[in-house]
Amino acid sequence: MRIGRDDVLKIARLAELAVDEADLPKLVEQLDGIVAYVAQLDAVPAEGDIAPFVPGPESVAWRADEVRPQSLALPPGAMAPAFRNGFFVVPRRTGMDEA
Amino acid sequence: MSVRAIAARTGELLRAADARGLNAVLHWSEAHLEFEAARLEGQGPGPLAGMPIAIKDNIATLDLPTTCGSRILEGYVSPFEATAVRRLREAGALIAAKTNLDEFAMGSSTEHSAFGRVLHPMDPTRVPGGSSGGSGALVGAGVVPAALGSETGGSVRQPASFCGVVGVKPSYGRVSRYGLVAFGSSLDCISVFGQTVQDASRVLATISGHDPLDATSLARPPMAVAAPRADLRGLRIGLPREYFPADLDAGVRAGMERTIAVMRDLGATIVDVSLPHTQYAVPTYYIIAPAEASANLARYDGVRFGPTRPEGLPDVGALYRTTRGRGFGPEVRRRILIGTYVLSAGYYEAYYGKAQRMRARIADDFRQAFAAGVDLLFTPTTPTTAFKAGEKTEDPVQMYLADIFVCSVSLAGLPGLSIPVGRSEGLPVGGQLIAPYGEDERMLEVAGTLEGRLDATAEVR
Repeated sequence: MRIGRDDVLKIARLAELAVDEADLPKLVEQLDGIVAYVAQLDAVPAEGDIAPFVPGPESVAWRADEVRPQSLALPPGAMAPAFRNGFFVVPRRTGMDEA
Repeated sequence: MSVRAIAARTGELLRAADARGLNAVLHWSEAHLEFEAARLEGQGPGPLAGMPIAIKDNIATLDLPTTCGSRILEGYVSPFEATAVRRLREAGALIAAKTNLDEFAMGSSTEHSAFGRVLHPMDPTRVPGGSSGGSGALVGAGVVPAALGSETGGSVRQPASFCGVVGVKPSYGRVSRYGLVAFGSSLDCISVFGQTVQDASRVLATISGHDPLDATSLARPPMAVAAPRADLRGLRIGLPREYFPADLDAGVRAGMERTIAVMRDLGATIVDVSLPHTQYAVPTYYIIAPAEASANLARYDGVRFGPTRPEGLPDVGALYRTTRGRGFGPEVRRRILIGTYVLSAGYYEAYYGKAQRMRARIADDFRQAFAAGVDLLFTPTTPTTAFKAGEKTEDPVQMYLADIFVCSVSLAGLPGLSIPVGRSEGLPVGGQLIAPYGEDERMLEVAGTLEGRLDATAEVR
C-alpha cells in the first residue's frame, strides 16, 4: 500500500491536525516509507489463532465505585487556555461540514 | 554532608552543565534547590537521604513545569504529582531538575525536543540516545547519581548504553504509571538511570510497589535493594542468536565477547537460544506505539491543554487543528498520522490486528526461552555506539532501527537492564540483561556482579 498526498490530507483531517502545504511533499515521502517498512508483517504466514498479549497483571483489581475528593494543587482552569464559570471555553461550533 | 551542602553542590554541577551547553535540563533553579533542601531538613532522613535525582520532563511534578519537551505544553504545571516522584520525596531524595527529552518521549536521539537537542556527555557532535537523553546525559556527566526516565520502546536502556551508565526498565506494572504522561499505555514504564547498579536499585526499591492510582500496577511489594552475587555459578545465561548479526558493529561485538568471557569466569553456563520473531519487533512496535499515541495525544486540543489561542479561529474544529498543527513537532505529527492511519477503517486489521498478533508471538518467544531453563538473556543494548547528531533525523526508519535490540523487551513487558561493559574508540558500549517477567531483582543482582568485574572505561578492542 502506497501513501499519497490525498491519503495524508485525509489522515490529517481524521487526526485534527493542520499540515502546512510546504511540509506536505516531505511528509508524504516519510509516511510512505514508514508504512512500507511496517508492512513487512504481511510476509509472516498466519499461524492460526493466537491470544492477544496483555502485559502486567492478569486482571485489574476492582475498587469501590464511589466519589473521592480530587487532590489537585491547582484548579482545572489554571492549566486551560480559556476557562469561565466552571467550563472550558471554546469557539462556537459552526460549519460542521468543514470539520 | 548536609542537605544544604548537597543542594549547593548540585547547583554548581547543573550550572556547569548548562555552561558547556549540554542542554540536558529544562527546569531547575537555585531557589528550587533551596526549597528542596529546606523540605528535607524538616522531613528527616530516609533511605535515599539527600540523594539528588533528576526527573524526565514527562513525569508530573508539582513545583516544576512538565512540558514533555513540547511547545503544546510550554509552561504547563501539573496539578498533581506522579506516585514515583512522591515516593522519592518521602524517601528523602532531593528533586534536582527536570530533564530534556524527545517530544512526548518519541525519538531515539533527543534531537526531537522543541527546546533543542541534548549533547552527548563525552562528544558534543554525537547524540546521547533517546528519548530520555537529558536524564542519561546528566547521569553520564556526573551531575546526579540517578535520574528517572521513561520507556515505551527502549528509551532508557538505549541512552544508558550511549552515555555509559546503568539503565533499568522494570517489568510492566512494577512501577506505577500514575503521573507519567501517556504515550503508549500498554508499553509505558517509568524507568531508572544510575551511575551504578546500586544507585539504580535503591531508586527502584523506592518507587516500585503497588499503587491503587494505576489500574495496571502489580499487587506486589516494592523491590528489594539488590546485592551483587559472589559469582554466577548455577545460572544459565542465554545468547539469542538474532541479536548477534554478522554486521554487528565490531566494537559492540568485542564488548559482548569480553562480557561473556567474564560471565563464564564467574561460573555461568552460556547457552545459545533463538527468539525467531525478533526481526518483526521494530515494525510491530511502530504500529502499536503510534496507534496508542494517536489516541493518548488527542487530549491536546487547545481546550483543556495548550498555549494561548490565536485570534480569529472560526470554530472549534479550527481550534483543534491549529493548536495541534502548531504545537506538535515533526516526529510527533508523523506518529499521530501513522497511528491514525493504522487504526482507520479498512486498514485496522491489515496493520494493527497483525501487529497485535505479532506482539503475542514475540512475547511467546521469550516465554519459551525462559521455560527451557534459561535464567537470563544477554544481548547488546544497541547495534552501534552513539551516532552523530543529524545522522538519522531525515530518515525516520533508520532512527527507529536504533531501537532494534530494546523494543522487543518492551513489547513483551519484561524487565531489561543496560550496563556499561567497556568503550569502543572512546565511546561507551552497553550490554543488555533481560529477565523473566517479575524477576527484576535477579537481573539487578547479576548486573551488580558484572559491574564489579568489568572496567567500563577500558577499550574493548
